Amino acid sequence: MANFILRKAEPSDVSDIMRLIKELAKFEEMEEKVVLTEKDLLEDGFGDHPFYHCLVAEVPKVQSPEGYTVIGFAMYYFTYDPWIGKLLYLEDFYVMQEFRGLGIGSQILKVLSETAMKTRCSGMHFIVAENNTKSIEFYKRRGAADLSSAEGWRLFEIEKEDLLKMTAK
Amino acid sequence: MHFKLRAATKEDCKEISRMILELAVYEKMSDQVKISHEELERDGFCQNPFFECLVAEVHEEDKAKEGFTMVGYALYFYTYSTWKGRSVYLEDLYVMPEFRGKGIGKGLLGKVAEMGKKEQCVRLQLSVLEWNTPSRDFYAAKGALDLTDNEGWHFIRFDGQNLDNLANEAPKD
Repeated sequence: MANFILRKAEPSDVSDIMRLIKELAKFEEMEEKVVLTEKDLLEDGFGDHPFYHCLVAEVPKVQSPEGYTVIGFAMYYFTYDPWIGKLLYLEDFYVMQEFRGLGIGSQILKVLSETAMKTRCSGMHFIVAENNTKSIEFYKRRGAADLSSAEGWRLFEIEKEDLLKMTAK
Repeated sequence: MHFKLRAATKEDCKEISRMILELAVYEKMSDQVKISHEELERDGFCQNPFFECLVAEVHEEDKAKEGFTMVGYALYFYTYSTWKGRSVYLEDLYVMPEFRGKGIGKGLLGKVAEMGKKEQCVRLQLSVLEWNTPSRDFYAAKGALDLTDNEGWHFIRFDGQNLDNLANEAPKD
């Protein structure tokens, strides 16, 4: 049984967070899309107006063969729905493969839900890739609704080049 | 027709609330609107606001049939991508039907892009309903990609009793 703790990320955690972000991107088969750096993470998460909040899962050094103690993380921020108000948006949620099935992921999700309730959020939102059946099942078991299937919402994105075109006079 | 785009003030929340409901009616989900101008005033104009809002106004002489001079709005906030960093999320964009086709929607979208650029955001995201072809076309014309189609992303939500249940099982500190 894994001995682990969940705590708020600190500036010294950014290189571990970066490593885990890349591992998750690799799992989602989109590794080459990660352009974020440790410097960005530091500036954007630990400055005056953080763009995100982060929880990390840590195990005692002795339990990890490669010597990592930070073996999971969840990154989130607050968003707004004009119909129901504040929401907690879960951007990334990942536990290293060798530490799965030990209740760490469930615990992270529970702590996040508690944070959502404490901060008067009406719900928690996130996106999942449709081929990620394991994750979809994990969430559905806990009562999550798939709004793309149920209500037909589609995610759209406009990238920097086209954004700049719109701002040009 | 001349129109003015500007940042919303706390006093605009009643009008914004009216338009939020109009948009919800268009999206055939008006029964899902649970908050009023009071929550908007509290959440958008506190020390660390949860959203920002732009409004579109016309002159008195061009006002809507019902007498409104505020004819559109864009509500957005900043998000974060672990792959690319700072992003802006456009939550709502709406122009009253009789004021469409005059560049107000494009103007609002452009202004949101400008706010994003100021904050060094690398992208703008939004979501549109599958059947809403006019909106899907509007965004596609500006270079938007449908990530649900192209990459298979689905929106998931936990709320109400399910969220409560999860929270009640959380370990106590």
